[in-house]
Amino acid sequence: MKQITNDALRLKLSQEYRNAHFTWIFTALFALLFLVYSFDFSTQQVRLPVVIFFVIYAVTALYVVFLTKRIRNDVIRKGEVQKRTRLLAYPLLLTIGAGNIFASGFAFALVSRNQTPEYTFASYALLTQLFVIGVSAFNLFKPYVVDTFLLAMGLLLVAALLYAVMIVLTARFVTAESAPKWMLIPGIILLFSLFIGNFFGFLLGYSLIKKARSKNPSSVEKWHTMWLKITRNTMAIFGMFFITFIFSLSVVSEWIFDYDFATQNNYSAILQNPSLEYPLGTDDFGRDLFSRIVFGAQISLIVGFASTVLPALVGGTLGAISGYFGRTTDSVIMRLLDILYAIPGILLAIAIIAAFGANTVNLIIALSVGAIPTYARTMRATVMQLSNFEFVEAARALGASDASIIFKQIVPNSLAPMIVKATLTIGGAVIATSSLSFLGLGIEPHIPEWGNILKVGSTYLETHSYVAIFPGICIMLLVLSFNFFGDGLRDALDPKTN
Amino acid sequence: MKKFFAVAAAATLVLAGCVETKSEKEAGGVSESGTDEKPVIEVLGMASNEQDMNIVRDQLLKNGFEVNLNIQPDYGSFTSQKDAGNYDVAVSSWTTVTGNPDYAVRGLFKSDGASSVIADEKLDELIDAASAVTGDEAVEAYKAVEELLVFDQAYIAPLYISNKAQGIYSAAVNPDTVRLSKSRAQAWEKISFNDESLNASETLVLHQAIGSLTSLDPIKANDGSINTLNTNMYSRLVNLTDEDEVVAEDSLSYNFAMTEDNSNYYFILRDDINFAAVENGAAVDTGDLVSAEDVVFSLNRAKDPESVPDHRTYSLHENMETVEVVTDLAELESATTPDGESVLEALSNELPADITTLVASEDEVDNAAGNYQVVKVTTTQPFPQVLNYLAHQSGGIVSEQQVSSINTFDVASYDPNSDIAYGDQSTVTEGSSYDNHLFASGPYILVQKNDYEAQFVKNPAYRADSEYAPLIDKVNVRFIDDNDSALSALRNGEIHVLQTVPDTKYDVVSSDDNLTLKQADSNGVSYLQFNMSGRDVSESADLRKAVLYSINQQDFITYYQGNKKPAVSTVTPLVDTGLTFEADAEKVKEFLDAYAQ
Repeated sequence: MKQITNDALRLKLSQEYRNAHFTWIFTALFALLFLVYSFDFSTQQVRLPVVIFFVIYAVTALYVVFLTKRIRNDVIRKGEVQKRTRLLAYPLLLTIGAGNIFASGFAFALVSRNQTPEYTFASYALLTQLFVIGVSAFNLFKPYVVDTFLLAMGLLLVAALLYAVMIVLTARFVTAESAPKWMLIPGIILLFSLFIGNFFGFLLGYSLIKKARSKNPSSVEKWHTMWLKITRNTMAIFGMFFITFIFSLSVVSEWIFDYDFATQNNYSAILQNPSLEYPLGTDDFGRDLFSRIVFGAQISLIVGFASTVLPALVGGTLGAISGYFGRTTDSVIMRLLDILYAIPGILLAIAIIAAFGANTVNLIIALSVGAIPTYARTMRATVMQLSNFEFVEAARALGASDASIIFKQIVPNSLAPMIVKATLTIGGAVIATSSLSFLGLGIEPHIPEWGNILKVGSTYLETHSYVAIFPGICIMLLVLSFNFFGDGLRDALDPKTN
Repeated sequence: MKKFFAVAAAATLVLAGCVETKSEKEAGGVSESGTDEKPVIEVLGMASNEQDMNIVRDQLLKNGFEVNLNIQPDYGSFTSQKDAGNYDVAVSSWTTVTGNPDYAVRGLFKSDGASSVIADEKLDELIDAASAVTGDEAVEAYKAVEELLVFDQAYIAPLYISNKAQGIYSAAVNPDTVRLSKSRAQAWEKISFNDESLNASETLVLHQAIGSLTSLDPIKANDGSINTLNTNMYSRLVNLTDEDEVVAEDSLSYNFAMTEDNSNYYFILRDDINFAAVENGAAVDTGDLVSAEDVVFSLNRAKDPESVPDHRTYSLHENMETVEVVTDLAELESATTPDGESVLEALSNELPADITTLVASEDEVDNAAGNYQVVKVTTTQPFPQVLNYLAHQSGGIVSEQQVSSINTFDVASYDPNSDIAYGDQSTVTEGSSYDNHLFASGPYILVQKNDYEAQFVKNPAYRADSEYAPLIDKVNVRFIDDNDSALSALRNGEIHVLQTVPDTKYDVVSSDDNLTLKQADSNGVSYLQFNMSGRDVSESADLRKAVLYSINQQDFITYYQGNKKPAVSTVTPLVDTGLTFEADAEKVKEFLDAYAQ
């Protein structure tokens, strides 16, 4: 009896085993989806490309089941995954070619014993990069590409190569505590990943610099444990992957995608079904949905981020002042915010848009104003608690000014709940942006924005459903991703679990 | 590693050879001429016309304009933006509900027109001249109007003519009995269920978007909230066929005739329609004949702007000079029609008995014995299109006795808070204010309404016991604001007829086994109205023409999947003037150059 519980516990603790389980289930689900879609019931025909995808996914799923069994045996018999099993994961890396992020992510996690966050960053940086390149490559099927296309694609490929090299290097040289000094150089280069929107690359660079300099071991450890927790949370890392993917795509789309395909009407290609030239089909004006969705991501992300950061800053400052000074200041600020809180956010946004007109800046302001009180409340609660701590007393005794106490002592220590809250509400902001556009109150209808695209799609839901399905899936996945990532972040920053 | 780079470099080269870049592609075509400042056009429209605005925006952009969109959520804010002059072109639409070309231009484009922004004396003259003639002369006259309005001055830029599409729940209702007319409002009396035995017991459910009824007095309203309802509640002297011909069929008159000078119009009335009233929730026969006295009373109040407070249809009827009962048979004999026969002959066609006497009082009327009533309408100038206005719902005949007894207030000092006018919707709305005082001369009468629906029952004294009596006893009109929701209601049989199927949903209706889709021409024309005061487009006809020739109607037709037709002006669906309009990029450049100098 005791043996069994031990086994169960071991399996439960094994990251690889849990990952394997997750991977085969998701791969099998996708295979099932492809199977259902592979037969066109209206024309009684088999869709060959979909069948191929089904076969690939089904085989992958079976292979992962086989790996799962091996991992189970390894864990129960030997206590950890054996080298041979890890070698067997290499073929699984190829699944990236079929776009199977679950299997390829799992493969990267399994092939190396090194499970530092840096290794995960590097592998996901590469995965993101390959996905971006793969999606961008669809532009080759268009009648023409933008002038900067080849140059940009070349740069993306170079970046992908760099990440591939970094995977090997980090697996070899980076440990939980430190990285070799020469890692500073690739670290600094990797910081430039931000310019192609690859967060994973940026984080990898930052992390490497932090570890290579190894000035403050306690801060390195804190950083390491936090990210270890997030990278071990499968849903959080996939959430982060999708956010990074969309962000990166929307950053590089400027140089790879042609805006004209997304906005200029083409009456000879109205409501086309998905094809190679139009990977997601065209809408009622003959505009390429694929390009529209890619460019739409820019606005969704910009408005989503901005309308989260703005109220977090304003609300955070008000909350900090209110919580620190208390008494009358607190009453005045919080009662005023209570008034604001009493007005439903979306109604307030609609009123602001109706009064000042619809454009991106107004949209951000409209969505921000309603969110200020909740941030202020969160901040105030944390600050009230913190301001009674000894280190604040000490700072006060040393004669520090109120402003310096608030912004140097208290605020840095109360950021964690704000960050978690912000991440969890970005999803809401993305939905709110799309909702307003859907209602015709957001951005002008010809400008690609997910809500706008969905609105057009809603008209053709029965006859050309893909016009609604693709933007719908994008909105759903992005919001889900933010929520999963936010959950992971909360778990990682939660003082209780530390 | 070296090898890899070699391969990568080779691959890049091969790839670069295959891919055509945008600038290469454009270098092959015609290069854009000049980079000087582009004229900016502000396009105003309603959110419901978003598609049209997008096509206009796209076409103007491609022809070298810069475009700002001003999208307003509803008609109210659209009109206030238009009144404030915040536009260069406004996406407008017009439906000629009377089916005559004069109505399609007078209010819209004449200097004194109710919704006109144009002031052009020459155009005014042409419109007036066109209204006085018929036949080929009229075609020529309206051609001259169109030439000036569209091609010479470009006061408007035409977009397209809409089609009508009606959805019928044919699982219950016989689609052959449901009319789809070009202009006329839906006629209910002919509609029947597939199973005719259900006509007496089942309720026919129809649809209307607007639930707030402006007024049930025919002359006090002219909008979508009452057009169909009043059309079915009141008889008129004449009616329009589905193709917009004026006929006596299903109207209060047996026949009508026009004199050869196009100024006098005679109508011979039938004696088998009584007014109906509502008592205890049911329609009763009042015994009051719809007579010549009522006709004279109704038309006199229609042409008198002071007859009621808030008279909304005066402009349609101002062309009538006098309305009178004719008692002298000799007058009919001496007057001749344009065909050369006497008016009496024209009026005598297929009567129940030959005309022996013309009587003045309704008490003496007896058609079977040869006693008839004849009404004569004289117009201020020759105006043959007056017949179309008489066929409009505002020409509906009301009861002299009933309306006079309700409208006892002084029109000049009318106070809407205390005085209740005939046809006020509060009197038929369920609740404490309910006090149904309607007298209906048509096939149906409104019993009561709420925000959800209006309930009608048939007029028991409307050509009773003949084949023309209304077939279905009870008709409910359901108010559903959103057209897509209305379509859903149609699909599950909650409503039986949907008058306007959304443009994009024709497939949905025609592929549904329970539904029948009927399509017909309509008089609805969409066009761009130029702002004629205070803007660059107001001053320069060249700029207006540049915009005009940027408009490619074929794109609209393609977008609407062939369900629209090319237009030249609002007259196009009514008179075929032979003119056609084509987009022309070369002309756009010419006019833009002319404008720049």
